[in-house]
Order: sequence, then structure tokens, then C-alpha cells
Amino acid sequence: MEIFKLETVVAMVDYIYDGTFEGLLTCVHTNYYGERANGIYPEADYQVSILTEFYKIVTDEEKAHAVYSGIRTKISEEALERVYRVHLSSHKEKENIILSYLRLGFKKGGCISSMHAHPVVLAMQDLDRKVSFEKVRLLGLVRFSEINGVLFCSIEPDHDVLELMADHFADRYKNEAFTIFDKRRKKAIFCHAGKWYIAAVDPEIIPDFEKEERFYQDLWKVYFENIAIKERTNPRCQKRCMPVRYWKNLTEIGIMETK
Amino acid sequence: MDNMLDKLKVLSDAAKYDVSCATSGVNRQNSGKIGSASSMGICHSWSSDGRCISLLKVLFTNKCVYDCQYCVNRRTADVQRASFEPEELADLVIEFYRRNYIEGLFLSSAVEVSPDYTTERIIRAIRILREIHGFAGYIHAKIVPGVSPELVNQVGLLADRLSINIELPTTKSLELLAPQKKMAAIVTPMKQITETILDRRQLSGVSYGNGGGYGNGSDYGAAYSSANSKGSYGGFTNLSDNGFLIRETGDEFPQGLKQQIQSRSGYKEKFAPAGQSTQMIIGATPESDRRIIKTSESLYKTFKMKRVYFSAYIPVGNVASGLLPSAMTAVPLRRENRLYQADWLMRFYKFTADEIIDEANPFLDLEVDPKMSWALRNLKHFPMEINKVSYEELLRIPGVGTTSAMRIIRQRRLSTIKFDDLKKLGVVVKRAQYFLTCCGKYYGGVAQDPFLIRQKLLPPENQMSMFSETMPTRTVGNRNLENPQSVVDANGNLQIGDGGRHG
Repeated sequence: MEIFKLETVVAMVDYIYDGTFEGLLTCVHTNYYGERANGIYPEADYQVSILTEFYKIVTDEEKAHAVYSGIRTKISEEALERVYRVHLSSHKEKENIILSYLRLGFKKGGCISSMHAHPVVLAMQDLDRKVSFEKVRLLGLVRFSEINGVLFCSIEPDHDVLELMADHFADRYKNEAFTIFDKRRKKAIFCHAGKWYIAAVDPEIIPDFEKEERFYQDLWKVYFENIAIKERTNPRCQKRCMPVRYWKNLTEIGIMETK
Repeated sequence: MDNMLDKLKVLSDAAKYDVSCATSGVNRQNSGKIGSASSMGICHSWSSDGRCISLLKVLFTNKCVYDCQYCVNRRTADVQRASFEPEELADLVIEFYRRNYIEGLFLSSAVEVSPDYTTERIIRAIRILREIHGFAGYIHAKIVPGVSPELVNQVGLLADRLSINIELPTTKSLELLAPQKKMAAIVTPMKQITETILDRRQLSGVSYGNGGGYGNGSDYGAAYSSANSKGSYGGFTNLSDNGFLIRETGDEFPQGLKQQIQSRSGYKEKFAPAGQSTQMIIGATPESDRRIIKTSESLYKTFKMKRVYFSAYIPVGNVASGLLPSAMTAVPLRRENRLYQADWLMRFYKFTADEIIDEANPFLDLEVDPKMSWALRNLKHFPMEINKVSYEELLRIPGVGTTSAMRIIRQRRLSTIKFDDLKKLGVVVKRAQYFLTCCGKYYGGVAQDPFLIRQKLLPPENQMSMFSETMPTRTVGNRNLENPQSVVDANGNLQIGDGGRHG
């Protein structure tokens, strides 16, 4: 990750922040108007070292806004969306990749989205693709169960894609009440009548589904097993399209484990 | 048969040989009570054969009056028979859909009593879904050959995509294996669908775009969805004191406009907004690949098909006649894969059927993909200078797909492309290196000779095979499922170069 270390800085200063998007934008602001950052890390995971000093950056809505509209006007809307999505990834150096990308962007302007071979742009592009791809994949791989008339499901995505999924389901199930729970990050989308919000959730609240739910789950399993053409069995292809790490939250897979 | 579980077993088992599972081609916000459609298509699961599952694919009934030799449901076959009731099928779709098991319904049927009787039952089920349940998700309906035009029109107004299977590549084969089906009865409704779609488009004066539709709510729909997503990107975290709320719905459209959007994008006014597709069986009859590709090219041209699917013939049980390959014949999966690659070249890379396959070699090369095969036969066009040639020419280079070609065009406006950049741009350098130059330098390392390049491309264990035979036999080695090149998902979607794409 050598390339993401910024140019020689006199003092070796790391920024630590609260992990929010606004916090990250505040860091970018401080990097421009205060002392330059050697690296930016979320406070929760930061390892203190004797070689580097660190500053704790306090999230500031005004500074964040300034950077936010700066990206939009000086670089592009596309870059802003990309930065937002990359911020949702679980890559350990994402903040530094974003910082390098923004420094390049403020220098070059909107054309950075065409600089496909530039190492910084390439790294952003890869992370963006991973996040966007996982979102699209999960739109299909989510399985709801009905509990007291409310649809409920759990997911464990690699990246924090929960909120990217919200609009799709809010529109599709606009007459339903549903919850999508991210087990790994302990938060959930709550949606009713097309309106949604995301809130922190205690995993203890997840209820068990009722017996009637079994009926549709069994029908789905039967369908899943029947639709495969035996003469074409190709588990490698199946696993490539639907990685095994997603299987534990899939209704249809139970039958495959028992056989 | 009353038990739902058994019915579903029988009627999904009977429907699995229909290849199409695409849900793409139509973008629709929830204009009813439940459901929406995404133009990129969404896959929901993958069965153990590696095909994607996005639609509940069932037959309405498998009680059939026809006796087509290749079909598991033919009248004389000894299989369990079952039928859905329209109401229970609609309920099943809604309950599956609510749980996000499926993206919609693919409804086909055996011919019970007559084509019209069967189609009326299909219409009944879809109408219940659309009108009573307010289902705005994706519906693909099969048209039974020989059905009356009024009924085709009715189905088209309810469904997103229509399909009539052409079954076999030539009239002769159809006469031989499905004597009760007439080519005219298949082609007539196909033509009707094409003409209705064209007519409606002209009337509304709206360009068709990427499968949008007429009566055109789709422009508004797109604007609405992008505004909505901006809302959520732009929506700042609510920095409230309690720290409970993390994020909420972005700003809504003004209510009046939203209503307008909904009424204008209502599905009822559109006839088959996702167009029509068809399917033919490969390997049951002796047609050459050239014949098949030519047939599918003319289907794309004449009927403006969205897709022509191929289905490798899988021997059906207890075949009495000697008209079909024996049950021991390997399923021609590699051949099917090559045909799909050829299909991709026609749809996305602007190749003609005659370019892909000539009369001298009427079968596709099983060792290398059709684009490579074309390039090796046409080395006179290569190597191409990556910094100079047009987009269309870039697409002709093996290992360059639609995405990487677009990136090359954009990148080279800013700076010259060097050989090391190609991989970053998404080019499959392993294949492309023999066909291009970067700033005038050729990096392939071997002379521009079809034989030498082919030797470099084949995996080591196959490299000698060129000496023993020029045209690989069709029945050997087709079942090599472990070969990563023979990967096809449910839609027959597969990777070709790096331009593999869902359709």
C-alpha cells in the first residue's frame, strides 16, 4: 500500500476519526487547512505507535459540508458518489485511498474518472466495484421470513451496503413492513409504507418465525432442488456465482447440507 | 393432485428445460401494490447446475395433447400430470415474491385441450396477479403456437416478455420430431408480437431506448430513481443527540409529480415492454452450427428478438423412436457455450453470421472461442495500434470487451496507453497481446502466424492436438464441466473475453 502514503510530510501525524462519512470529510478539510495527514484511521481500530503522533479529529458538520460541495463542484457528482460508496467498504486503507483520490481530483478535476490506469483511480475503482457489486448481489440474495405480518431477514455483508439496498426494497414492498438486519454491524433497516430508517439494533431482539412460515420455505426448497438439471450439475459454477459465505442466510440451502 | 408441494414438484420439473430466466429489459417503479422491475435484471439464487434462478419457472399444466419427441411432457410419456388453479398460482407467486425468493414469474404450459383454452387459463392467472394482487413485478409468458391473435394481444398487455419457442433450427427437423407443430403456427404469433411492438412505438413517437417502452413513464421513472438515490447519498447523517438514528429515507418527490409518474408508468398500457425471445434445441437434430447461427441471425433481424436461447439436448427418458440421439450421448455443453459466444458477437460486437462461421467450416471451433477463431482466420487486420483504431475496431481484438474498449477510448484522450496499462483497463492481455501494438511495438513474442498463436493459447496438454485433427469431434470432451471456459448460467449468460454481460 506504499503508494497511498502521501508525499513526504515533515511531521508524521495520523488522524483518527469517529468512522462516519462526515468525520472523514472533516479529516479531508483539516488535511488541507491544518497539518497534513500521514494517514487517516477510524478511532475504533487505531493502533498507537511510538513513531507517529496522532490527532483526534472532531466531526464538524460545517467543514464536512464544505468538502462535500467542493467535491461536487470541483470534481464531479460521480466522484462524490464513488467516494461515498468506497467509504462503505471494509478495506483497511479506504480512508487513505479516498484522500489520495481527492487530492488527485482537486488537482485534475472531473477528468479523473477517465484516468483508468492511474494507480489511485484504479484502487478507487476496484473498491467501488466491490461495494456496488455486493449491493446488487444482495438485492437477490436476501430472504425474508414473515413474523407477525412483518418481513424480516438477516444479512452479513462484507461491506456496509445496508443503506444502499434500502430504496430498492422500500419501493418494491411499499405496502409491507420489513426489517433487514445486518448481523455483523448490529444495525437494521426498518421500513414501513415506503419510508425507511436505519438504526442500531441489539441482536437479542430477533424473534423466531412461526410454523406457517415453514410451508413456504419448504415449497421454495422443493422448487430450488427441482429446477436444477441433473445432467448439467456444476457446483463450481454455482459457488462462483453465489459464494459459500452467503449461504448461511439462504432459506433454500438447508436441503443441500442434509443431502 | 391437491397437495401444493407435489404440484410444484411436477410442474417445476417439467418447466426446467426452458432456458430463459432473464428479468432485464424493463425498468419500472412499483406502479401497483407490490413489485418493481430492474432493467439490469436481478438473480436470486443459483441451482446446483450453476444456472441462475430469478423467476418462478413453472408450467400451468403438463397435460399435453401433443407428442413432440424431444419433450418430457409429450402425450405418450409416462409421467405424473398436474395443473395449477389460477388463484393458487397467483398466491404462490406473491408469497414467494414477498420473501424475495424470486424476481417474478415465468409461466409456460403444455397444450391442454387446445392452444386457446390453455392461453385463456394463463391469462386468468396473470390477470389475478396484476389486477387483484396489484403485482408490478416481472412476468414472462409463453405463447402457445396456434393461438388466436386476440389472446396474444391480451397476454402481451399483461406480461413483460413474451416468447414462442421455435424448438428446432429448421422446418424439416420440426416436421420430423414435432409433427403436430407447424412452423407457420410458430411464426405467425411471433410476427404479430413484433408488429404490435413496432406499431405502438411509432404511435407514441418515443424511441425505444434500452427496452423502456411506450406510453413512456420510463423517463420519469429514471429521473425519479436517480433523484431518490441522490437523496440518500446526499442525506447527511442525522447528528442527533441520542445517537440512535443512523440514516433515513432521502427527500421525496413532490406528491403530485409522483402520482403522475405512477399513473404514466402503469404496466397496463404497454405491450410486452421487455420484447420477445425464443429458444431452440441444440444437438437433437444434425444441423450444423452455421445453420443454427444463420437461423438465429434471421430471428434477430426479422422479429427483433431480444434473445435467442439455445438449449443443449438432454436425452429424455423412454424414447421409443430412433429419431433422437441415444440416451448415452453426451450433452453438448461445450458446443452450446460456443454458440452463445457466437450469439454475443452478433448482439454486442456487430459481427455477422457469415463472419463468425463460413461454409468451409460449418462447425464452431471447440478449442478457441469464436472471436479468437475469427481473428486467427483474419490476421490481415492485425496487429492493431491500440492508440489509434476506432471503438469498432477495438471490439474486434480478442481479449478486449465492450467495457475495456470504452475505457481505452476515454483514457487515450488524456494520455497515450502503454502496454502495462492494458491489464488495468480490463484487457485480457494473455489473449490480446498477439493482436495489438502499443506505440508501434508488438509484444506478442511470436510471429503473426495462426498456427503459432494457437499453440500459445491452448493449455499445454492440448497443444499437440492440432497435429492429429483439424476439426475436433463434436461428441468427445463436451462434458468437461470442470473446464472454466464452459461456464454458462441459466440465461446462457457467459463470459466472453471480459465483455460477459447479463442480458
